[in-house]
Amino acid sequence: MLLIHCPCCDETLPEMEFAYAGEAHVARPADPSAVSDAEWEAFLFIRTNVKGPHFERWRHIHGCGRFFNAVRDTVSDRFLTTYPAGAPRPDLTTLMGDDA
Amino acid sequence: MKDMSIDTIAASRAATVTALSPVARFSLRGRGDAVAALSAALGVELLARVGARAQAGARDVLCLGPDEWMIHAPEGDAAAIINACAGVAAPHALVEVSDRELSYAITGPQAAELLTLGCPRDPDSIAVGEGRRTVFDGATVILWRDGRDAFRMDVWRSFAPHVTHLLATGCRELALG
Amino acid sequence: MSRFRVPGMGRVDHEAPVKFRFDGVHYAGLAGDTVASALLSHGVHLMGRSFKYHRPRGPVSAGSDEPNALIGTRRSRARAEPNTRATMQEIYSGLRTVSQNKYPSLKFDVGAVNDAAYMLFSAGFYYKTFMWPRSFWDRVYEPVIRAAAGLGVAPDREDPDHYAGRYLHTDVLVVGAGPAGLAAARAAAEAGQRVVLVDEQAEAGGSLLSEPSVRIGGKPAWDWLAAELAALERLGVRVLPRTTAIGYYHQNFVALCQRLTDHLADPDPALPRERMWRVRAGQVVLAQGALEKPLVFDGNDRPGVMLAGAAQTYLNRFGVRVGDRVAVVTVHDSAWFAAFDLADAGSKVAAIVDLRPEVSENLRDGAKARGITVLTGHTVTGTSGRLRVTSVRVNRLKDGGGLGAPRQIDCDALLMCGGWTPSLHLFSHTKGSLRWDADGRTFLPDRTLEDCRIAGAGRGLWGIADALADGAAMGAAAAQAQPGTVPAVENDRTGGGIAMAELPTDRNASRARAFVDYQNDVTAKDLRLAVKEGMRSIEHVKRYTTNGMATDQGKMSNINGLMIAADALGKAPPQVGLTTFRPPYTPTTFGVFAGYHRGGHFEVTRKTPIDGWAEAQGAVFEPVGHWRRARYFPRGREGMDAAVARECAAVRNGVGLFDASTLGKIEVAGPDAVEFMNRVYTNPWTKLQPGRCRYGLLLGDDGFIRDDGVIGRLADDRFHVTTTTGGAARVLNMMEDYLQTEWPDLDVWLTSTTEHWAVLALNGPMTRDVLAPLVGGLDISAGAFPHMSVAACTVAGVPARLFRVSFTGEVGFEINVPARHGLAVWETLMDAGADHGITPYGTETMHVLRAEKGYIIVGQDTDGTVTPHDAGLGWAIGKAKPDFIGKRGLERPDLVAPGRKQLVGLLTEDRSRLEEGAQIVLDPKQPKPMKMVGHVTSSYASAAVGRPIAMALVEGGHDRMGETVYVPMPDRVIAAKITDTQFHDPAGDRLKL
Repeated sequence: MLLIHCPCCDETLPEMEFAYAGEAHVARPADPSAVSDAEWEAFLFIRTNVKGPHFERWRHIHGCGRFFNAVRDTVSDRFLTTYPAGAPRPDLTTLMGDDA
Repeated sequence: MKDMSIDTIAASRAATVTALSPVARFSLRGRGDAVAALSAALGVELLARVGARAQAGARDVLCLGPDEWMIHAPEGDAAAIINACAGVAAPHALVEVSDRELSYAITGPQAAELLTLGCPRDPDSIAVGEGRRTVFDGATVILWRDGRDAFRMDVWRSFAPHVTHLLATGCRELALG
Repeated sequence: MSRFRVPGMGRVDHEAPVKFRFDGVHYAGLAGDTVASALLSHGVHLMGRSFKYHRPRGPVSAGSDEPNALIGTRRSRARAEPNTRATMQEIYSGLRTVSQNKYPSLKFDVGAVNDAAYMLFSAGFYYKTFMWPRSFWDRVYEPVIRAAAGLGVAPDREDPDHYAGRYLHTDVLVVGAGPAGLAAARAAAEAGQRVVLVDEQAEAGGSLLSEPSVRIGGKPAWDWLAAELAALERLGVRVLPRTTAIGYYHQNFVALCQRLTDHLADPDPALPRERMWRVRAGQVVLAQGALEKPLVFDGNDRPGVMLAGAAQTYLNRFGVRVGDRVAVVTVHDSAWFAAFDLADAGSKVAAIVDLRPEVSENLRDGAKARGITVLTGHTVTGTSGRLRVTSVRVNRLKDGGGLGAPRQIDCDALLMCGGWTPSLHLFSHTKGSLRWDADGRTFLPDRTLEDCRIAGAGRGLWGIADALADGAAMGAAAAQAQPGTVPAVENDRTGGGIAMAELPTDRNASRARAFVDYQNDVTAKDLRLAVKEGMRSIEHVKRYTTNGMATDQGKMSNINGLMIAADALGKAPPQVGLTTFRPPYTPTTFGVFAGYHRGGHFEVTRKTPIDGWAEAQGAVFEPVGHWRRARYFPRGREGMDAAVARECAAVRNGVGLFDASTLGKIEVAGPDAVEFMNRVYTNPWTKLQPGRCRYGLLLGDDGFIRDDGVIGRLADDRFHVTTTTGGAARVLNMMEDYLQTEWPDLDVWLTSTTEHWAVLALNGPMTRDVLAPLVGGLDISAGAFPHMSVAACTVAGVPARLFRVSFTGEVGFEINVPARHGLAVWETLMDAGADHGITPYGTETMHVLRAEKGYIIVGQDTDGTVTPHDAGLGWAIGKAKPDFIGKRGLERPDLVAPGRKQLVGLLTEDRSRLEEGAQIVLDPKQPKPMKMVGHVTSSYASAAVGRPIAMALVEGGHDRMGETVYVPMPDRVIAAKITDTQFHDPAGDRLKL
């Protein structure tokens, strides 16, 4: 069971208060009718599936209810950081330090 | 929030679980300018920190999320709360949920330990006078910590039998040492 | 006094005899004994038969690493447990134990024929032996081998015990209460940390319990131990004995299994048998010590052959000599001390055989002083004895290789020591890396991402002084404090040794029964054969031979197995590597994993306010998500079909009452409520007037149907949304997702009101006759309150939110009242409707009534690949809206392509009822495998239609109206005609009454 820092509550809490919500920074196109089939396919289905630092979303569903973003290393399962939804991607080289 | 008990669910030398009488409950949502306006209208400051509580008279307001507060008040106060918020022009939402949850008092020397049967969060991370929404044995609950050894738990009505069953089991188990 | 008990020795209570039974024979042990120590005190070594070869076996260890002495324990028929370690099970008065894997008796076992046929059971025998001849499958393998295989007998009754669980948050968790763990706990606690100290043994102390001659801080070891435990108690350390750390998970989450009653003669029935502690620790100190390795030689599994350290423990902790005439074979100094202790306690030590050419002066002197024959530079090449070792075969190791002539040394116990390996299991659970220590020829813990420290023998340190000092340092480090002073240790018996693969032999190695994994009967020969047959990875060797796969998880066998495999591969051990240790550390009951979640508490069962009434009426329930809902209300001896037919008729002709409280309800409120609704649901909402309702359809952005429900507009800025019962939480989560992350600018908020309202659905042509007299503040006549209206009013004096909606095709009202009033209003309606024959109906009737109208159930008639058009709901799409969830998805090429499966009605030609899920073909005479063009989604008997009706998803179904399709069943093929899905009152006239 992971420990997750909720950026809204500013508390580090057991995973059981949270729900996973897929990859982060997959923005819904502002005007979906203007995008091509390929772009829409990419938005719906294409995910990075990285080995290493993964940008992903969680919801503090049994807490403040907020969706937020996280960077988790899929090799170690470590959270490198969490940050509010809508904030830009954090810089990986800073987060990973020497391992980047 | 005192002397509302109507029914003892379980009691041991470790802890006591008591069903509490109904109260008026409201989910109040808003942000920005609305927060100050709603605070003024209700006469209670809507604190911004998740988990913080403020009281005015018998109104007890807990911040559950960045734009979300749970109001507990005597049932007779419900109409006044609705009216007070109705006068606030800034965008907000007030929804009565009085019957959504049932509340239980969890008291006694091992009240906090009793919560550890189902609560993955450390109950001691909730300071006296604060509250949190969290999870207990799979059910979302709101915990109000009224004292070192005194909690209230709000749980959705249909989950209450499951939750109180475990609390009662725990009362017996903790008393065995 | 039993023959092998040494008066006054050990931590057992010599004044407290405890009677128990083993294989029906009564034995007396002492309070503090394990089953193994008590039986050994009577000279009983034979405690079981091995898994594969049914070889006689006795205890080889004195702890949880025991592979051999597995017994059945029993309080009653239901309170029975197989495969309990006799070395861990404490005796209590009345305990009944049995040996396992024997027939007809432990001493004469016919299954031991496997032993003679051992060539058949070599490495990979699972893959080879059962291959030929084919007829053997039925005649031999299944009936004979399967019956002989397996360990122990599972109880055939439900477990009457109960199990507990607790979360625990602490600053420092110390695993292992030996000298290192005790010192670590003390140091951390003195630095002000909350500390939990656990040990799997019945009491704390670890190796100190087997080393009473040591003096610490000027005190005898056991006096120091007692004082130390008292100090820990004063410091508030939570000390949990009989508690095994079974798994180490992410971020210092450690699962502990605490055994609460298995050692008690007459436990309070209120006590849980075991408790799972789910610990979150800021820092973890692993002080689990080291495991002694067996030596691998022919006959190393005979009863009486055991680890030297185990013999030392039986003597010093339990006051039991494991034999009268003891031989020792070792490559490590520690076995010498065990021999000395046994000699001092009165056993004859026949010889110490050490493979090393030289040992230290003090060992030689110690042996000499006790008159013990020392054979350095010798090895053991075999043992004799049927049910107990009677002699050991010893050869000199010649300089430059080869063995000298054998000699035989009589003994009734053979102590072996292959050195020690750190207990790496929990550390490995953290995915920690291991480091090969070339000097010690062992793996040591290296790096882990966890906030975890290893103290003492667990990281290769040897001796009590070093363990205490290291424990104190690690405990202080965990607390970010400076280490304090460590008490002086006297008479610390330190030493060292070498590591071996299997011992050399002068006999045919291929016939040697040199066991590596005792429990799975894996020999050194098996491992070499696996390499010879092409297994290169240690993981393959493990699975091919099953080495390390028994219930002891390779505690004794993994390192020896690795050494032999590495030797066979011609590689250095670190190049071969260890297999992965996985939780749990020791076998753990299912009960403690389940904890409280069994019986009625297995999972949440959500009940509506009407549930108790329905139960009293004899309703039959069905689970819907976590809810239990009344399925039908049988009268007398009515079956479901009869009850449903009666309930359907009541709704079609009179009035029925249905508990719809489980419907999901979401209040959407705020100035941007209508904009939000326009973006979320397919339908247009702008023109819906307050007080009016609309059927809402929710898609995913892929264009497929996710949910539906009737939605009422309460005010310009407020909607009352309903969802399906099962979809309530999912829909709210989805809405929150879009609102918070895609449209955070919208001023609208979502609140679940599912459980605030009890929902009573009144349906049927006589509905208004029942309801109207109870309604206050609202005219519910057809003109004033038409179909698809919503308004606030009172019902039976209770404030209500009244919807005029229908899921039956009849005039319908859904009365929403605050949940606490739900039952009272329900009963008032039942009373008020009595004269009209008001009939409560359940979900089964609801399903029939809606199917007669062609109303879909999301999740039954749709499956996540169905579009609104497929379901015949294209009318619900607001085509003029610039966007809504799923709008773009609906334009995807596959979703507009021809040949999609579309929802249609089916009427069978022979008027039989189809099975839901049955497949549909166009040509029943085509060769198999047939092309399936769809399946039946809903099927019911329908009195209103006068024949069974069904709905189905069929390829191109909307263009096949009137065509006949076929449903092949095991016994026949059913022909059915494709129809519209609206079977009853297609014009909807009855809704408008």
